[in-house]
Amino acid sequence: MNVNVVKSGDYSIISVEGRVDTTNAGEFEKAVMEVVNSGINMIIFNCSGLNYISSSGLRVFLIVQKRMMANKGQLKLCSLQPGITEIFDISGFSSIFSIFPDQDSAEKAG
Amino acid sequence: MDNTPDDKILLVNNKIDELTRVARFLEELGEKWNLPDPLVFNLNLVMEEALANTILYGFSDDRNHTIEIQCSKSKSLISITIKDDGIEYDPTQKKDPDMSLPAGERPIGGLGIFLIKKIMDSVHYKRIDNINNLILTKNI
Repeated sequence: MNVNVVKSGDYSIISVEGRVDTTNAGEFEKAVMEVVNSGINMIIFNCSGLNYISSSGLRVFLIVQKRMMANKGQLKLCSLQPGITEIFDISGFSSIFSIFPDQDSAEKAG
Repeated sequence: MDNTPDDKILLVNNKIDELTRVARFLEELGEKWNLPDPLVFNLNLVMEEALANTILYGFSDDRNHTIEIQCSKSKSLISITIKDDGIEYDPTQKKDPDMSLPAGERPIGGLGIFLIKKIMDSVHYKRIDNINNLILTKNI
């Protein structure tokens, strides 16, 4: 798993690559919460390189979403691979996140 | 055509790091059995959810335990049996999470068993001679 953070306009883009599973979800949570705790409240997760996620990874997304809602921030997800989309659909996560086909449309959406 | 089911067994310890071996085992199985990538992804997910539960919560002592994972494939079915000597636990009895809740009210966690039930076509549990047997099948 790799996590990269870059600024793009008003957004911090968190790109996550590889697998997020039970063995590394803690590491993923730590990296992501560092961004959230720094006071940034407009975040886009670019998931184009994410090719595996289990419930331990979904849990981290939900934690961030709850925190962003509490902070009146904005959280968007983009570029989910089909397998990841399926897991988001099954777990009901597709309806609790704003998901966009690509980073460009995520940045442009209000 | 050979109709005898093809069997593969993997033994893992009750350590979370073993999930890396499980992922590799499934990748190799996917190649050997010519399974499509999305199916390998889903089977990996199902195994991880089941094993993570067992490894994290399934044992009341600090000793090493061996968990047996048996996979078999016939023409139309993949069957996975996971056996452990941990605390008696029937995951099929766990209540499904409420999917209608908005993000703010969704509990953190508790999705693993639900994902197993949604992805697989059948999920059965049997306790035999103090061993948990979780039997999962997927039509292919």
